[in-house]
Amino acid sequence: MTALDHLLLISAITVVIALLAGNRSFGGWLVTILYALQGAALLMMSGLGYSTLEVVQSSFRIVVLSEQLLWRFDALSWFFALITIGAGLFSSWFASGEWGRKYRDNGGNLRLFHGALALNVFSMLVLLASGDLLTLFIGWELVSWASFLIMALAGGKAFGYAMRYISYAFAGAMALLGGLLLIYAEVGSFDFQSLKEAAPQMQTSTLWLVVVLLTAGFGVKMAIVPFHLWQAKAYAETPGPGAAFLGAISSRMGLFAFIVVIVQLIGISRLVEMEIPFTFLSAQDLLAWIAVFTIIIPTYIALRQHDARRLLAWHGVGQTGYMLLGIVIANDLGSAGGLMHVFNYASYQAMLFMAVVAVMHRTGTSDLNKLGGLFTRMPLSYLAMLIGIIGLAGLPPMNGFVSKWLIYRSLIVDGSPLLFIGAVIGTLGTILSVYKLIHNIFLGQLRVEHVAVREAPLSMVIPMMLLAVVVFVTGYFPGLVLDWTSAVQASIGIPVLAHHLGGVSISGGLDMIWIVSVLLVGFGFGTLVFFLGGRSKRVHQLDNYAGGHFLTAETRYHYSDNFYPGLMHLIGPWYRNSFEWLERGVISAVDTFSTAMQGLYRNAHPSYLLLAAVVFALSWVIV
Amino acid sequence: MPFSELLVELLLMPILAFVIGLVMVLMMRRIGARIQRRVGPPVLQPIYDIIKLYSKETQISHGLMHEIGIIMAVGGYIAAETLLPVPGLDGLADKGGAVTLAYMLMIPALGMALGVGQCANPNGSIGISRALTAMLAYDIPFILVIFGASYVYGTTNLAEMISIQQQQGVSSWGIVQMPILAITALLILPAIMGKHPFEIYVAPSEIATGPMVEMSGKFMGGLFVMQCFQLYTAGVIFTTLFLGGGVYWITFLPKIFLVVAIPMSVAYLFPRYRTEDVLRLMWKWPMLLGLIGLAVVMK
Amino acid sequence: MNELDKIPVRQEISVADGSAKRSNPLANVFDELVRFCQSRSMFMLHYCTGCGAIELPPAMTSRFDMERLGIQPMVTPRQADILLITGYVSVKTLKRIILTYEQMPSPKYVIGICSCTVNGGMYWQSYATAKVLREYIPVDIYIAGCMPRPEAVISGLRDLMGDIRSGRADNWKRYFQNYDYYLGNQQKLFGEDWQTPTDIIAEAEHYGLMTDQTLGEHTALLQKHQQPLEALEFSLGEKREKIQGENR
Repeated sequence: MTALDHLLLISAITVVIALLAGNRSFGGWLVTILYALQGAALLMMSGLGYSTLEVVQSSFRIVVLSEQLLWRFDALSWFFALITIGAGLFSSWFASGEWGRKYRDNGGNLRLFHGALALNVFSMLVLLASGDLLTLFIGWELVSWASFLIMALAGGKAFGYAMRYISYAFAGAMALLGGLLLIYAEVGSFDFQSLKEAAPQMQTSTLWLVVVLLTAGFGVKMAIVPFHLWQAKAYAETPGPGAAFLGAISSRMGLFAFIVVIVQLIGISRLVEMEIPFTFLSAQDLLAWIAVFTIIIPTYIALRQHDARRLLAWHGVGQTGYMLLGIVIANDLGSAGGLMHVFNYASYQAMLFMAVVAVMHRTGTSDLNKLGGLFTRMPLSYLAMLIGIIGLAGLPPMNGFVSKWLIYRSLIVDGSPLLFIGAVIGTLGTILSVYKLIHNIFLGQLRVEHVAVREAPLSMVIPMMLLAVVVFVTGYFPGLVLDWTSAVQASIGIPVLAHHLGGVSISGGLDMIWIVSVLLVGFGFGTLVFFLGGRSKRVHQLDNYAGGHFLTAETRYHYSDNFYPGLMHLIGPWYRNSFEWLERGVISAVDTFSTAMQGLYRNAHPSYLLLAAVVFALSWVIV
Repeated sequence: MPFSELLVELLLMPILAFVIGLVMVLMMRRIGARIQRRVGPPVLQPIYDIIKLYSKETQISHGLMHEIGIIMAVGGYIAAETLLPVPGLDGLADKGGAVTLAYMLMIPALGMALGVGQCANPNGSIGISRALTAMLAYDIPFILVIFGASYVYGTTNLAEMISIQQQQGVSSWGIVQMPILAITALLILPAIMGKHPFEIYVAPSEIATGPMVEMSGKFMGGLFVMQCFQLYTAGVIFTTLFLGGGVYWITFLPKIFLVVAIPMSVAYLFPRYRTEDVLRLMWKWPMLLGLIGLAVVMK
Repeated sequence: MNELDKIPVRQEISVADGSAKRSNPLANVFDELVRFCQSRSMFMLHYCTGCGAIELPPAMTSRFDMERLGIQPMVTPRQADILLITGYVSVKTLKRIILTYEQMPSPKYVIGICSCTVNGGMYWQSYATAKVLREYIPVDIYIAGCMPRPEAVISGLRDLMGDIRSGRADNWKRYFQNYDYYLGNQQKLFGEDWQTPTDIIAEAEHYGLMTDQTLGEHTALLQKHQQPLEALEFSLGEKREKIQGENR
């Protein structure tokens, strides 16, 4: 039994134990320990992450219709599996303890929750281990169903959004199947190697069809524009840590499949050769622009949200655009940036969602217009959210800055100013919207009803703090993650980024060790300068300038609703809900078509069938 | 270069930035006074202001984040100045280029925003909301300018840009090679410095000075120090990108003072725009000019 | 005319020495330099309380230019050093003046411009004004007139600058040291339940400016009626009493 078999076996055991014992208070902890064991099994294969191992096979193989299906891990799978198991571990840790107890006491099905989480991790590992196109499809379907399960188990609104997701996912899976069958028809086998050899010779028209179908299939999971509508609401309504897990890694499975099939097998250089007629764009440009629109549109939708979870979920949709953009640009900087962004984003998105769930746990609401001033009451959750938003905004010293820097640099090297501007517009929108998030929850005036709120329990605080340490350390020493991404780049066959522990070793590169150290020393000097002044006295929030007005606790002296009125006044009319209109159009078209079919089948069925049988018999007799 | 020399450089750069920034603040107030046909403050006025603010005997703080915010604001700028090469002092310019500098400059703004948030005063929060909106407004043409400059010089390393311009003489200065981008940068310079007509975040008569509303004593002193750094940084970035930087201080100083003086002279003639007008203005003309300049430069 | 001659131009009032605990580490070393800078950089609060406010814009603008003396207008009391009481002080305004004064950081100076602050001026018979300002907050300098021209205002400010430089202008300490006396006068005018969101007694304690005159019968009345407003401190999970509606 190879290491991969160990990993998959432990993962399957986790599912079983989660379903059996998930309802008990020790069940959650048991499952968390099992995730840690999965992580240990993964670390046994850590040679994959450092280019010392090529591939780890699984001993499980089956033969279907003379096609051999095999499962294996390579550097790319290892990298994504690390993120998946990490996200599962921290989410499960968060859900054990007080959150799980409260969820169960409020009528939630905790057993099913833990089971669904474990099933998600298992199915993702199966997808990541796929060795050929058919196993990819099998894994893909498993992942879709597992995601549906965890989204739907809360019932009510969540079930509605999950149904929307599964409709999109069905359509995507059919597109994917279509693409795979087309490949089989062209190439003759589901093997990865055969596709890689046949791709340069394939006809451009067939290849276009394949690329469009596959991108649509993978894009639905990734929620790129125009398939972005289902993700935010579905992820926001998933219970607590489930949302953290989904937001961190679930939609990246689409990115994984995209990298495996389109980047590794078909190759970006082949995409560059595929030109769109009558324009100067190639398929690569088209994908890059889709990525940029995926950055901009969801980020500015997030700006308008006043529910904290939905805001974060929309940012999740937007950041996928950065990853796709980096990978599609395909020079060494861009692909390293895109891959590193997957890791970085998972680390701070999980942390941000956990902080919001912690606030919800204590105050009962995640509505930004009903919170405020919780900094003194929940300081550790504030710290987690602060580090998370600095990472999400892509500012030094956190790891988000490094991956975004790599993507910007790759665009400058590539010479694409408009893509560069699009990426920066997304970052600026992110900065505005995350400041609103942290201000409306933790800063400003503390409400009277929240004066007695306590910090979140330890079982919630510790995973957040651990993730904060991860975010800071990988920001200080980005070489730690760049080692893994370089292994991925080497195994896929795209140019490898030259890096060292602190950053990138090209001329005009980046050295985070120096930059973060200088920043910390600067803060030290700032503190020195600060203490040069006299003593200050801490005062109550009602001792405040109000134009001479005497503030009392009944006065709401807080600015939260419509946080960016000037901006919204200008860009408000630009939100036309066009994609929702399109979605409604498609829905009504399908509805009409299905009603017509139903009419045909139900009403006219016997006579038509008789007619068809008679015609067929006559033609067979005569011809 | 040996580590001890680098350390000395890193210590010297913020100190120089602060001193030159003080003189720029004085210049700003003198220009304003002369335009308003007044005499203006005496030469050492900014120093008097800062010493007075730091020698206040009682001041209020609204909490730990309020204090950390001011520390981040001052400390972030001290750190960012080490990334900005000046004559004789390259500092950490090769460890991170123009893009890193642009993002490092957002840390002090974020620190101040968090500190103001804890003051629990809606005037402050509105001020921060306007400051972030203004940042969204001017950053887009600004990023166009940086892209154009990186394209023309082939690098984002500011020290390399200076050496290229110095070696090849005046004809290779940014202002000659990419004049339209230079005009774009000049148009957005008042917004970067937070001066009229784009001074929406201070707005004393509308939102009670916005972020500064609950800042007393040493907190206000920290913001004054931040203002000195802000003016200096804006001037030096423009000079580095377009006016060839400087090899000697005697040629460098007039350039940065000239660059800062131009928006100042315009500032005192204008009232304040509304927030959405700032957005509209910044996204119309500077962006158009920037795109045209970029197209010219990249053909 | 005999009466007028007897009125002293400068009244020396003894200040109790509460400066035992100076928080600033560089305090005693650079005292003179600090006082000089404080005198040359005064921020006035742009809160002009009464009719005398009309004399301030001329003092600020081109003809008389206060900025060459280092004086600029600031918007909130947190940023200001000087509080200019320009004009008569109605009872309603006095409440806000006291709140504003208490919110200013020290060292702070109050300038009573116009005769109404001295002895009630034109409204000496009114039921709605406070006649003697220095019974409610300590005043450093009066500039008499009705109203004084900008030259007089600037002359008064320059006198204040001289006072600051010589260390005579520390009346702000008297508010902390004799709080009971001031509070008593305020309570006589506003009623027993008069309170402001600022906590003077805690501040006096914090900065070591408390004397035996700070507390007294009036502060006892205040503490009876006052809602205690302490700064929100961190709570990392201590059990607090549940209030209704918490933890849904």
